[in-house]
Formats: sequence, structure tokens, C-alpha cells
Amino acid sequence: MAERATRLHYQDELADLEGRALGGLDLVTETLTRTLEAIESSDVALAALVVADDDRIDGRYLEVHQSILTLLATQQPVATDLRLISALLHVMKSIERMGDQCVNIAKVIPLTGNEAPRDAEMIRDIVTMGRQAGSLVMQAKVGFAERDVELCRDLVRRDDVIDDLNRRCFARAIEIGDEFDAREWGITMMLVARALERIGDNAVDIGEQTAFVVTGLFREFEDASRPGPIG
Amino acid sequence: MNELTEEGFGREVASGEDGLVRGSEAAIAVRPTRFRSAGEVEDLETVFELDDISVSYAGVPAVKNVSLDVFRNEVTALIGPSGCGKSTLIRCLNRMNDLVPTAEVTGRLLYRGEDLYGPRVDPVQVRKLIGMVFQKPNPFPKSIYDNVAFGPRILRMKGDLDEIVENALRSAALWDEAKDRLDGNAFGMSGGQQQRLCIARCIAVEPDVILMDEPCSALDPISTARIEDLMMELKRDFSIVIVTHNMQQAARVSDRTALLMVELDATEQNRWGRIVEHDSTERIFTNPSDPRTEDYVSGKVG
Repeated sequence: MAERATRLHYQDELADLEGRALGGLDLVTETLTRTLEAIESSDVALAALVVADDDRIDGRYLEVHQSILTLLATQQPVATDLRLISALLHVMKSIERMGDQCVNIAKVIPLTGNEAPRDAEMIRDIVTMGRQAGSLVMQAKVGFAERDVELCRDLVRRDDVIDDLNRRCFARAIEIGDEFDAREWGITMMLVARALERIGDNAVDIGEQTAFVVTGLFREFEDASRPGPIG
Repeated sequence: MNELTEEGFGREVASGEDGLVRGSEAAIAVRPTRFRSAGEVEDLETVFELDDISVSYAGVPAVKNVSLDVFRNEVTALIGPSGCGKSTLIRCLNRMNDLVPTAEVTGRLLYRGEDLYGPRVDPVQVRKLIGMVFQKPNPFPKSIYDNVAFGPRILRMKGDLDEIVENALRSAALWDEAKDRLDGNAFGMSGGQQQRLCIARCIAVEPDVILMDEPCSALDPISTARIEDLMMELKRDFSIVIVTHNMQQAARVSDRTALLMVELDATEQNRWGRIVEHDSTERIFTNPSDPRTEDYVSGKVG
């Protein structure tokens, strides 16, 4: 029987909602790029801008959250649409947290002072981590938009690289020396590395939500509770 | 004794140690069935077993090859677009189609293990055990009391009639509103009250199953909510099958949902309904197996 397509306006609303939610990931990568630049150049002013600009990400979170509530109340989505809505709520939460991680990093940049970095190798690792994390965020966005579960599963492999770098930063921070200022710098940079590592985890979370939308089953790609090195 | 024949509502009626029969609880022989849904296996008691049921009117098919089980103390919803045969199918469950001379039902329909269309089965007994509530409230032009008492009187049910009426009205959540106007005309009630009165009338004859054919389609949202609440209460004592156009209602009240869709033959002249998917309501509305179910429940096709 020739079936008639219906609820076209609702479908448009849902697509627009997804577009705005995933657009939040562009805001995150933009903010992350600035954050890395601020770390590399110890740019306190740029760090202050990152902190102030977090309102844009928070605003996107609130806007999409409100739209989701309205859609739930007025359209009663079910099946794949319902899973998509549920996933978008998680995605927005991940976006908001990634924005907060950038703010956390930006807030500690002034603590490192305007002097040259104490350990160039650690800075290099941290910037590499940040770029990897940004790349993961974009991969998560494409994976979600294209409902590509395999691309999303690949996030785990790439996140392992970030985790390794995080562990290396931890080791460097321990070895950085006995001087008080050096230790303070090392610990601060360890916090920065930890924040970047969490951004990678958030990207993997978005990948898991993609798999939920596609399959209807929520499974963590990797069991975080399994025995293994911290990170 | 056959439970559906005129000799009585056998249902292997068993008395308790005190000699009292406790309604369907005592009377119905438990016959567990294994039902798989979303990888889970549950022990459930089957009320209806439909095996390859087809219905036609004057040789024109209306429903084809329906196979599904209906379980005790559950609400089973039949959903689907107009003309897919939902009402035709539910009317098979208490032989209402017998009243249509050209109707023909083929396949096997077991009610608690007995052939509902067997030669010795009495349709009157069937409709006593398997009551029906219709789309539009249809009280008799009598008092509230007489509406509820009508069935028990006709069936010469034993027991105190006042008590039967009160219990039925209480079960239908209508007692508080009706107790001071039992002699008043049923037509003086609101639409929602009239529908609950029809449910009370159905309950009064102590059925095993209640069939509801779009029971809320003529009611406002508040009355609809009351009927839906009532269904959640009633399923403790009865098994319910409901036909509804309102998918959200099916999602709210039912335990299992069957989706029927319309099929056309090659000439596109003949159309009939066929079951597309039958599963737990949770699965149907969150992660259906069939893409046609996905499209229908999410309103992408109509």
C-alpha cells in the first residue's frame, strides 16, 4: 500500500534539534583550540576569553535542553526518535562538560605565570593530547550525524592514545624536580592533562550514544571498571 | 464440563476449602505459557491463542493469518491505521462476528485451551465470560441500578443483587458518584460516567476478559484518564484487550501491543489487515523490530 509520509514539520524540528546539538561540538573544538593556544603561549588574556566564552556553550545546552522538553511535551516521540532525543540529552551534557573542562584548564593558566614552560616535553604532550581530543570530538560528531557505529567504536582506539599521553604527563610531573615552583607547575599541568583526557572520554561517550540510537542497546564500548592503569 | 457450553461456566470451577468459589481466581485452571520478548522469558497464563485466524465478510478478506497469544491479567492493545481490521479482530474474541451473517472466521481460536468456535460452544456464555465495552457509551434507557443489574438478572446470578451492583460500580470507580442517584436515569450521566457505567455493567456478570473497542474515543481527556486509571485497576482481576487509535494510550495502558497494517492485493482492489509485530509495549515503543512498526508508531506514515 502506498503510505503517506506524515508529521513532516515534526521531522524537520527533530532534524533541526540534532543540528543545533551537534553544532555544540563545533563550539567545543573552537574553545579547545583557543585553550591549547593559551597553554602553548601562556596567554592569560586568551585564557580569560575562554572562561567568558563558556557562556556560549552553556547557552547552547540550555537552548537545546528546552527544545527537547518542548518536543517531548508536544510530539511524544517514540522508537528511534525517542532514542535520538535521549541520546541528544546525553550529548548536550557531554558538550557542556567538555566546555567546563576547557574552563578548568583556562583558570589554571594564570597560575603557571608568564614565564617559559618548565618542561617543554610535557607541554608538547599536552598540546598533542588536546589536538587529539579535538579530533576525537569531530570524529564523534561525524559518527553521530552519519549514525556510523564503527567510526564511533574507533574513538576508543584513538582515546587510548590520549590516555597513554596522560599517563606520561603524570610520570613527567613526578620527575620534574624538587623545586617548589617546578612541582607546582608540574601538578598544575597534570590537572590540565587530566582535563584533556576527560574531553576524550566525553567524545567516546557520544560514540556510545550513537550506538544506542542505532541499535537500541546501550553498551559501554569499554568497561571502565576493568583492571588497568589509571587514566 | 466444557466452560463455554450451556451446562455452565465450567472453567473447571473449583471450590476452596470453605466451599466458596472465588471468581476467576479459583475457577481458572492455570496453564502457563512461555513468551519471549526482548530476550526475556516469562511464565504467563494464556487466555487466548489465535492461530492463523482470518476473517472475511461475504468472501472479502478483512483480516488474514493472525497468530498471537493474549495473557491473563495483562492489557493487550491492538493498534493500526483505519481499516486494518482491529475491530474485526477483537470482535472475533467474543464471537460478535456471529451476528454478521456473511462473516466467516477461519483458523484456530482457543480460549483457555478450548475452541471458541467449537460446535457445542454457546455464544451467550462466551459473551458473559468475555464482555465488551464499545466506542460510544451505550447505557440502556433505564436507571443506573437497572443498567448494572440487567446482566445478573438475565443470567439469574446467585447472590444479593444490591451487593453485586455496588461491587460492580465500585470496581468501575463509579460508586461515589452514583450511590446517591442509583434510581436516576443513566442518560443523565456525563459521557465518561456513562462509559464507566458500561464497564460496571460488563463487570457485574463476572467476566474473565474485558474487550474494549476504542473505549475513550468519544471522551474528553479527563474522562479518558479516569478510564485508563480504571484499566490499570481492572487488569488485576481481568484480562483486557483494547483496540485504540491513540498510540499514546496504548503506550500508557498496555503490557503488550500488536500492530496491524493494511495490505493490498496486486490489483489494489482488495485490502485486509495483517499483524506486523506483536511484542511487549515497551519494546514496540522504544525499539521495535519491524521498520513498518517504527514508521507507524513514530507517526512517519499513516
